[in-house]
Amino acid sequence: MATAATATRAAAPAPRRAVPIINPANAVTASRFLTLPFLWWAVDRGYHQWATLFIFTCAVLDKVDGLMARVFDCKSAFGELFDAIADGVCFGFGLVVVAAYGWAPLGSVAMIVSLGVLNTIMRFVYMKRAGRATNYKSYAMERIVAFTAYQIGFATSGMEVKFFYWTFAPIMIITVLYDAKRMLIDPIAPARAS
Amino acid sequence: MTLMSEPMFKAIISVLTAGVGGLWVIHELVLMNRLRGKGLQDPLIRDQWFGYFIGIAIGVIGVVGTLRFNGVL
Repeated sequence: MATAATATRAAAPAPRRAVPIINPANAVTASRFLTLPFLWWAVDRGYHQWATLFIFTCAVLDKVDGLMARVFDCKSAFGELFDAIADGVCFGFGLVVVAAYGWAPLGSVAMIVSLGVLNTIMRFVYMKRAGRATNYKSYAMERIVAFTAYQIGFATSGMEVKFFYWTFAPIMIITVLYDAKRMLIDPIAPARAS
Repeated sequence: MTLMSEPMFKAIISVLTAGVGGLWVIHELVLMNRLRGKGLQDPLIRDQWFGYFIGIAIGVIGVVGTLRFNGVL
């Protein structure tokens, strides 16, 4: 029986209190973009340690924005979406840069980026199926995104690059397949009343 | 241009990777343990279980990769 409990759940609806777009959490999220030119510069110059430091900073800021949202009570649907976009842009950019400079296997990076794009498209399809602005919460993909930051770090630090990239690809394929079923086939739970 | 000596850099990234990987595995095992007894037929529980399983796999890969990096495996 497809009840609300057995249907695919959507993320919680936006909080009732109006939160301004310009707030501490979103400012931290936006600041992540500032690390990207420095990352590119370091990779271009062959400064492995500096490149590792910049991607590490970007990943740490990803954790800090969530903390800021809780501390300053400024969680919002836009903030969640902005955070997801920042993840995609920052980590996508990082992967492309390390692959372009030969620091990571091109085939594996192409596969990872393609799966990331496919996952984004499926999220839009899910939103269309749900008929409202919502984000599918994937516990597995949250872990994959965190590990993606590490992948860039492995490339910049030259740490077992082939091993990490070629073990990461199959895990991401399994996760995308699982999420595809949940987003495209399984029934969607109705929005919770606010 | 470097921030520190290569051995120090190697030690820091090894500790960061293996440490986080190991803690990640423990964290996911604890979360998975909390799901014991709850029905896997509920998609929410199944999603959580799958997510924690992927987390464990990632943590193990991190630890194994670090051991390889340091010539242990």
